Amino acid sequence: MAEKNYYTIDPEGKLKCMKCGVPLIKGKAKFMYLDNGFPVELPVCPVCGFVYVPEELALGKVASVERALEDK
Amino acid sequence: MAQIQERGSTHVYKVNKISKEEMESMVERCVYEHPPFCSAACPLKLDARAFLEAAAAGNFKKALQLYEKIAPFPLVLAMGCEAPCEQKCRIGEIGDAVQIRAVEEAVSRFGQVQKLGSIFRTRKKKSVVLFGSGLFALFLAGEIEKKAYPLTVFCEESDLESFLHTETGFLDEDAFRAELKRLKGKDIQFAFGCTIDRAFFEEKRAAFDVVCASPAVRKKVFPDAVSIPALMYCENEKLVSGPYAGVMDAAFGAKKAALTVDRLAQNLDPRNTRGQEGPVESALYTDLSEAMALTKTPVSSAGYTKEEAIEEASRCIQCRCEECLKSCAYLAHYKKHPGLFAKEIYNNTQIIMGDHQLNKPMNSCALCGQCTVVCPNGVDMARVCLDARRNMVSTDKMPLAPHEFALLDMLFSNDEAFLSRTQPGFESCKYVFFPGCQASAIAPETVKAAYLDLCERLDGGVALMLGCCGAIGDWAGRTELEAQTKEFLDRELSKLGDPIVIAGCPTCKKELQSHEGLRIIGIWDVLLKIGLPEGGHGLERPAALHDSCGARGDKSTQSAIRELAQKLDCTLVDTPYSGDRSPCCGYGGLSAYANREVAKELTDKCLERSDAPYISYCMACRDRFAREGRESKHILELIYGTDAGAPPDISEKRYNRLTLKKELRWELWQEETKEMKLDYDLRYTEEARRMMDERMILTDDVIAVMDEVRKTGACIFDEESGLYIACRRIGNATFWVKFSREGDESYLVHRAWSHRMQVVKREG
Ligand code: SF4
Ligand code: SF4
Ligand code: SF4
Ligand SMILES: [Zn+2]
Repeated sequence: MAEKNYYTIDPEGKLKCMKCGVPLIKGKAKFMYLDNGFPVELPVCPVCGFVYVPEELALGKVASVERALEDK
Repeated sequence: MAQIQERGSTHVYKVNKISKEEMESMVERCVYEHPPFCSAACPLKLDARAFLEAAAAGNFKKALQLYEKIAPFPLVLAMGCEAPCEQKCRIGEIGDAVQIRAVEEAVSRFGQVQKLGSIFRTRKKKSVVLFGSGLFALFLAGEIEKKAYPLTVFCEESDLESFLHTETGFLDEDAFRAELKRLKGKDIQFAFGCTIDRAFFEEKRAAFDVVCASPAVRKKVFPDAVSIPALMYCENEKLVSGPYAGVMDAAFGAKKAALTVDRLAQNLDPRNTRGQEGPVESALYTDLSEAMALTKTPVSSAGYTKEEAIEEASRCIQCRCEECLKSCAYLAHYKKHPGLFAKEIYNNTQIIMGDHQLNKPMNSCALCGQCTVVCPNGVDMARVCLDARRNMVSTDKMPLAPHEFALLDMLFSNDEAFLSRTQPGFESCKYVFFPGCQASAIAPETVKAAYLDLCERLDGGVALMLGCCGAIGDWAGRTELEAQTKEFLDRELSKLGDPIVIAGCPTCKKELQSHEGLRIIGIWDVLLKIGLPEGGHGLERPAALHDSCGARGDKSTQSAIRELAQKLDCTLVDTPYSGDRSPCCGYGGLSAYANREVAKELTDKCLERSDAPYISYCMACRDRFAREGRESKHILELIYGTDAGAPPDISEKRYNRLTLKKELRWELWQEETKEMKLDYDLRYTEEARRMMDERMILTDDVIAVMDEVRKTGACIFDEESGLYIACRRIGNATFWVKFSREGDESYLVHRAWSHRMQVVKREG
């Protein structure tokens, strides 16, 4: 069964990890807040594991999930 | 850097009851839902306010609909009613009562009659019989038909016209015709020309489930029957009937009787669940100050014309208690009166699992206390909201997010930016100047000038304490933090020799008053006593004085400020809602952190009172008014001839506090502060700065991110924008910075954002 991801972004080779010198790839990540977790797919550095959260995602989806959880 | 622990989980299942009784007493105190005086006096409970509103708007169709709810034969009622409503009409106290009955008559005459789909409607199963005629019987027939019971009427009259004629001699020809038409349209079976005696009665009644009779028939058939007036019911005879004396009594009797019929038809005791019947006393409050038309429109014998009825209906002032909603932008925003709002907020605290939808509303109240002053019954929403916040904190249900920035700011004020020193040359001091955190953040030069002046002109030594009074912790409902702050301040004060506190801010004064054994005065009191320093002067133009919500109920502070303004030659313009009735600028209660929109509406509401420049005596007010583009001065700026200038952003507010502390330490106590200079060059685009202020991101946060990048080299490069991106988790949030390199040791920040969720790489 395909696992559920709440959000997916593919960096399409346009982002590069400066520490490792490699492009970020679409990778598995997880958001955690107040004891709740959500699997997502975000640009991740395949070497050091740096996970990128773009501005639109942070201020959009992430913020609204935060608000919803805060009021639980 | 200071931190506050975020709550651990959304899965916390405890509830700490705040007193339900207290909430209920608050809810009961609000009279918003009380009926207007006219409706309260009407035994049939006509919604006279809505009726007159519709009539005044010329909407006779709607007005008639409302009237028909209580009157199946509107003209009969309107032309015969004794109008107890008019006796109680509020404007009757200062002029002529609204001629409600005459308007009802006109509406019944000119209003469009509803087409009833009576033939196609489903009737109820149980059948009802009614013996006799007259007003009571007529009204009762109308009520029963409305309830859709199949109804048969046995009467002595020979036809429908004579039936309607009985006891309705007061109707004129037109009215009679209209009501006859109405009667014909009703789904009622008639048997005319009956001779109603005991034998006839007993023979016929057997076929029906519920039996009713006119007062006359009852007397004839059962001369000794005892009727229960509240039910219009003779229990022994199982007969619904009732005596009456006038049109209104007949109508009200019929209403009660119809309810009894309803209960009997369902085999229920007619005594139970009847609700409140008949006239009531209303405790509604209505402001009469705007009532204009006090003289009634004269009525001719033919009654009002349509135009006259509209004119008369327009005299109704639509009695409502909205004192708090008129004055408080927060309540106006949520469009809820405190009686309802308090209940919802209380319920919000009682939710164990699920969404707390009232979190934002309860955190948006400025806790300013204006409602309590303007409410005729002293309803206290601040208390409701503060109790709710405390309750949510104590049960670990309160999100930290809306208040975290403010709370961290308080900790910052009492840590990095805190300063407590005796006046140079004094071991202990008689006084300590406590300007308040906002004053140091917004107008550091003014604080400095005031302190130097106090030192120079007061005997016994004036210590200085730069810090936060703890109001922020209080407002956030964090009683533990508030208590810690209190202890901390008390300790620091005792080191200074327990001096008398000279507060620079009315909210600090109020907050510090809760410290046991502390003596507090306002700087305004001191300045009145020792006189103004040289060089101060008022504004050129007339100005509006805004009273701080922290000084509500503090008449002596309010008048001291006015006296100072006078000494400065200020011309003050009168504004509505001043003194104790003053609205909050939007800073109070951390409203601005929890709900910017509401806070702005609160500010706008303050500014709406006058076009003049504003003089205030709380730095937060000064700041919020200036932010909206109004010429805004703190009274101390006028007194000391200083100018705090354009409102600082959140980072500048911190910087100002640190700089003030540093400068004073050096100038007065010759203490050096370690220079916290960055060893690289960091600049911001204007857009970044604006964005950071809006998103509550401090330059300190950005610096922390950049320090990390420089140390670890961890960042990414975005080909599309040609910019670098880095992040760092600080406290409960992750901060992101998008920047360009302008050289080896130089960076330009383009964008910044943050989120509270933690993000981790997942295996697999
Ligand atoms: S002023 Fe507001 S709180 Fe007070 S009774 Fe009227 S509606 Fe209720
Ligand atoms: S002014 Fe209007 S709402 Fe108020 S009591 Fe009179 S009729 Fe009723
Ligand atoms: S903002 Fe002030 S006036 Fe409005 S409800 Fe809250 S305490 Fe009352
Ligand atoms: Zn990497």
